[in-house]
Amino acid sequence: MTNTEPTAIASGPPASISSGRQSGVHLPGDGHMWFMVLGDLVIFGAYFIVYIVQRSMAPAAYLQAQQHLNITIGVLNTLVLVTSSWFVAQSVQATAAGQHERAIRLLYGGGACGLLFIAIKACEWSMKITQGYTTSNEFFMFYYMLTGVHVLHVALGVLILGIVVRELRNPRRQRLSVVEQGATYWHMVDLLWLVIFGLLYVVR
Amino acid sequence: MSTTAAPTRRDTKKVGPRAITYTWAVLCAITIGSWWLAPGHTTNTATPSIAITTAVVLLGFIKGRLVIQYFMAVKTAPRWLKLSTDAWLITLWAAVFVIYLY
Repeated sequence: MTNTEPTAIASGPPASISSGRQSGVHLPGDGHMWFMVLGDLVIFGAYFIVYIVQRSMAPAAYLQAQQHLNITIGVLNTLVLVTSSWFVAQSVQATAAGQHERAIRLLYGGGACGLLFIAIKACEWSMKITQGYTTSNEFFMFYYMLTGVHVLHVALGVLILGIVVRELRNPRRQRLSVVEQGATYWHMVDLLWLVIFGLLYVVR
Repeated sequence: MSTTAAPTRRDTKKVGPRAITYTWAVLCAITIGSWWLAPGHTTNTATPSIAITTAVVLLGFIKGRLVIQYFMAVKTAPRWLKLSTDAWLITLWAAVFVIYLY
């Protein structure tokens, strides 16, 4: 997917930069990653619609179950993931400016926040399970399913950020398009979480 | 290391570092604000609220669009990508709202 583009940032604008037909238009990453991201957004969109349809059939029961979620943990996890996206977005700009060491540090920051998100989510799950909230409750079935599939995406995202760091460490493989691809995936993970947070924790 | 990199490229300049930091600050502010809206916050029995759900839908749309436009840099992306992402956002939140009200 990305190995067909050997241009290093240091030797001039990478091929991906020229993807825009007019000045100022630029496709971040490449079409393959966007195809996957848009597909994932549609699949998650379907999950969200199924959830809200089921919720609208028994709003009182869902609301009662929602009250057992810890909103402070939800807010904390959202702040952690938003901050990780902030680091990763800055990393793209650092790469574009040729500041590869800074870009790597920012990716480490983003990845660390991703791991923290997973740790907080694991604590939340174990708390809920010990409190007796299991998949026997319909709301909690959705809670475990949506947050479970999402946290797998976070784990994959951390792995992808690691691969981007490995690429950036090699002066001959420092391509902006690779950093942008990793960032696009990572921001999708953030975007999906923002929807999950609203629908599971806040909606009444 | 790379001294010939092009920090002045117009196409990556449009969404600058400041815009990214503002985006992060607004996302954090909305998230912290959501804490007061959530049913898990109150110890009393939570009551359904169309007003709060409307706020969730609007804020969810705004947060999503900020992530897409500024973090994902779709603001400077080709038209097909802007339209696809906007279509996803609008369809999702409109469907959520209509189904909730119905």
